[in-house]
Amino acid sequence: MATNKIQNRRLKWSLDSTRNNRVSTVNDTVLASPPAYSTSGTLGSSEVAKKTDTGHLIIKKSWELALAPIKQVPMNLFIMYMAGNSISIFPIMMVGMLFMRPIQALFSLNSTFKMLENSSAIGQKFVYILGNFINIGLALYKCQSMGLLPTHSSDWLAFVEPQVRQEYLGGGVALF
Amino acid sequence: MATFKSISSIFLVFLTFLNVAISLYEDQIGKFDWKQSYIGNIKFGSFDSVKRVVVATDENVIASLHLKNGQIAWRQILESPHGNQIELLHVDKEVITVSGGESGWYVRGWELNLGTILWEWTLYSDKSLKGYWVISKDQLIHLVPAVGSHLEITTYEVRTGRNNGKTLRISAPWITDLSKCVTAGIYWTCISGESSSAELHYIDLSSQLDKVYNLSVEKLIGNAPGKVTLRSLQYAEPDILLIRNGVGRYVRLQPELPKVFTYGLSPNVAVAPNGDQTLLIQLESSSENPENIQIHSVELEEGKENRIETDYVNKTGISHIITALCRGSACRVLFSAQDHSISLLQLPAGKVAWTREEALSHIVATEFLELPVSELDASIEHEFDSVSGDVFGTLYHRLTSQARQLSVLLTGQQSTSNTGLVRDEFGLHKLIIVATNVGKLFAIDTITGNVVWSRFFNNVESFSLLNKHGMLLFVQRTARYSPLIPQCVLLMKDKITGNGIMYTFDPITGESLQLERLSYQINQVMLLPYEDDEHLKGLLILSGDSQVHLYPSSSKSILLKHASTTFLYTANPKQGTLHGLSLAYSTPENIKAVPTWSLNLGQAELVAVGIRPINERVHSQGRVLADRSVLYKYVNPNLLAIATIKDDSIHKHVLNIYLVDGVTGLIVYSTVHKRADKPVHLVHSENWLVYSYYNERFRRIELGAIELYEGSVQSNSTAFSSHAVSQLPHAEAQAYIFPGTPLAMQATITERGITNKHILVGLSNGAVTEIPWAFLEPRGNQGILNPEEGYIPYIPELPLPSEATINYNQSLARIRGLQVAPARLESTCLVLVHGLDVYYTRVTPSKTFDLLKEDFDHWLIAIVLIGLTVASYVTKRLASRKALKQAWK
Repeated sequence: MATNKIQNRRLKWSLDSTRNNRVSTVNDTVLASPPAYSTSGTLGSSEVAKKTDTGHLIIKKSWELALAPIKQVPMNLFIMYMAGNSISIFPIMMVGMLFMRPIQALFSLNSTFKMLENSSAIGQKFVYILGNFINIGLALYKCQSMGLLPTHSSDWLAFVEPQVRQEYLGGGVALF
Repeated sequence: MATFKSISSIFLVFLTFLNVAISLYEDQIGKFDWKQSYIGNIKFGSFDSVKRVVVATDENVIASLHLKNGQIAWRQILESPHGNQIELLHVDKEVITVSGGESGWYVRGWELNLGTILWEWTLYSDKSLKGYWVISKDQLIHLVPAVGSHLEITTYEVRTGRNNGKTLRISAPWITDLSKCVTAGIYWTCISGESSSAELHYIDLSSQLDKVYNLSVEKLIGNAPGKVTLRSLQYAEPDILLIRNGVGRYVRLQPELPKVFTYGLSPNVAVAPNGDQTLLIQLESSSENPENIQIHSVELEEGKENRIETDYVNKTGISHIITALCRGSACRVLFSAQDHSISLLQLPAGKVAWTREEALSHIVATEFLELPVSELDASIEHEFDSVSGDVFGTLYHRLTSQARQLSVLLTGQQSTSNTGLVRDEFGLHKLIIVATNVGKLFAIDTITGNVVWSRFFNNVESFSLLNKHGMLLFVQRTARYSPLIPQCVLLMKDKITGNGIMYTFDPITGESLQLERLSYQINQVMLLPYEDDEHLKGLLILSGDSQVHLYPSSSKSILLKHASTTFLYTANPKQGTLHGLSLAYSTPENIKAVPTWSLNLGQAELVAVGIRPINERVHSQGRVLADRSVLYKYVNPNLLAIATIKDDSIHKHVLNIYLVDGVTGLIVYSTVHKRADKPVHLVHSENWLVYSYYNERFRRIELGAIELYEGSVQSNSTAFSSHAVSQLPHAEAQAYIFPGTPLAMQATITERGITNKHILVGLSNGAVTEIPWAFLEPRGNQGILNPEEGYIPYIPELPLPSEATINYNQSLARIRGLQVAPARLESTCLVLVHGLDVYYTRVTPSKTFDLLKEDFDHWLIAIVLIGLTVASYVTKRLASRKALKQAWK
């Protein structure tokens, strides 16, 4: 099925200059081909060349795709540095974006790699996921440095229940 | 750098003031608060005109009351009533008072209409003897009798205090008993001798000072068995009453032979001048019918008698007539009752015009009580009471309650049993139960300040608790358990036997449930924290001989179940000891409290004991430090704070503060202040203690604050046991200069303890001020190391901004105590300040964060919302129409 599709697509775009000739050859078998003309040879060789070229491109493209998150890392680092550690609306928005993008990318992993016809893109996928995890790690680091992660005991203080008293005491100043 | 620091600290302080500025707007005056002014039990009274009556009370207060409604026209508060008493009240063109005691006498003149002081002079006498004061024309005569020997008479000019430097001495061996001597007009008179040989001696102070008239009583009122006593009539004429066997004879003293009127009078008689006539008015109330009083008036010269009967709602019985005044046939009689209430009786109508409850001038116990839910709400609650889960039963409940609701809706009436006394949504409407020193119990509505019901007990007195008076009032069952009525218990002392009296009552209606005169003295009382099946908390009374008594006796089984975890402590100020008692050794036959520990305070005097409020909840279990670690609070519910003062040869007085675990007797913390003296006030709350003392070295009041922390880890995060001590808590302490004299201190309390804590301090100048705990919190090293954490930099002198005064310009005289209670609104704390005045208000330490502002514009918000919704629908319509048109183009 897939190969058929590829074939169709290729036919759509490859201009076959021999087509009419072939018809004519059928019709005019009388006429001899000009010297040094081969009806099959050239076609075959160009076909092979084209095939290897697109495969290469696909691999190149898929690696580009897979490396895109890692390429974002320096940019993210720069943004992180520029945003500072103060808690205000813009750094918070930035941290939100830092989180959102890799997570969204991870969820749309399959649809991203669907574009590549090459089904065996495990390596690329792994690199892609790794890159996104690096970005998430960066975002976490940013949260950490901004103090947004509940890593201290004080962050859980509100959930500490009061101690239950075991003994009851009554009394006061002697009344007589 | 230094300037920057100081500027930043000033800025920080300023910021905190912004938080503290919780004062009222002008239109909020009287909206949440009410104040009632009292004057105390009346000693003397005199009508100044037909409009007012001037009174002097045993609280060392003089006041002028409107005759129309009993309101105070003016009131002047003199020195402390301990050791200072008003001895003379003379009302003429101006009011003249002589007050004082052993330290000296103050003679003052007051303006009649406004009560402003006109003149004053003091008299320092080295004689601590009881003196008599007489005003004759412009002369003030001071008589100092010495029993069995002589009489010293000194005359002063009343306005200036000038005297001729001479003190007259009269030999008077006939003075045997000063209780038998009175002043009558310008005479001073005494009775000597027993019944038959009794003699009357009198001196005319206006002219011949050395002339003593002697007369046999027999000659005046005949011979009869029985003791003769003397009563002054507080009247300008030299008239006295000679009383024998409960019958009084009216005697007018004259130089040679006194004039005796022949009517038999009751000892409780008042003289009402009526032009040139004199009317004698007597009030009689029979013991079997106290609601009815008989007014019996006699015209002195003609002997015409007149009797009127009238109803008097107050059932307590008339104590005595203070003063009376007649104009023509209309008379006004001011009288006081046993319960210190004063009333004005109008004659000849025989109507009681008004009554003032002066018992409220000395409150000894208070308790806030939540009101029951309305009957409708209660019926809805009952629907869910049936645990059976039977479908038809539930349906039946639902139908009946809805039928009831419908009938209420149609007839438009609630049951009349508890009109108006219904719980509100925010728990701001409560009932304050108040016990007074004289033995009268009141229930006061917090919204209006009106007395809902009252009850008087004869011959009771309060306990003395560390130089203060106190009764014990406990809520055994709150109003939450609707079909069951709430129950309170009041413990008092019998005046005659000294035994305990236990009065159980329904606090909402005032209905008496039980009045039990106990057969023993009460040593200690504990309200057990365990409820029985009927949600009633038992009462444990430790008698003087260390026997344990339980009320009701059904709570015995519950106590036995928890006996090993129930403890008692008693602080004995006389012996200077502290004892801990355990109930663990109780058997079903014999509940006993066995001493487990004892603490000897040495020669020191115990001045204050503070324990955390039982209903207090600590929301946050720790303090967050700058490095975001937690310092866990040491919240020991059994911790006692004890203050003692010890005389010292070097440091004059030494104040010791101990924090003692009441279960084990372990001293958790102690500190010493040298040259520190009384008065000491303690506030113990959460994990901290605030105390005030007088610094003798610098002669100022200081506040000390102690805070206890467990450390960065909790040894046991779920349960607290006093027996499990791994290490002593870490304490931080700091002291502050306080620019005022506290008379009472209390920390605010809220429902869940989320709201910040403020300390309410009643000051001697009549203000009740709020100090945020953050101002007093010991910063220790934390604050210095981490200034960015919002700590207020330590400034030794505490500010007392006038905005923090919760009673704005309504000064409260002689504040004795502060009582706080949480409302159901987390932000709000209800406050009752009592002393000579009673003041109620509410405070919001963290502002009303859970309440919309009063000026919140509900209408504007609603209109804007509705407008926006309508507009969005209209524009949607328009937009679709436009899109359609464009599509057809």
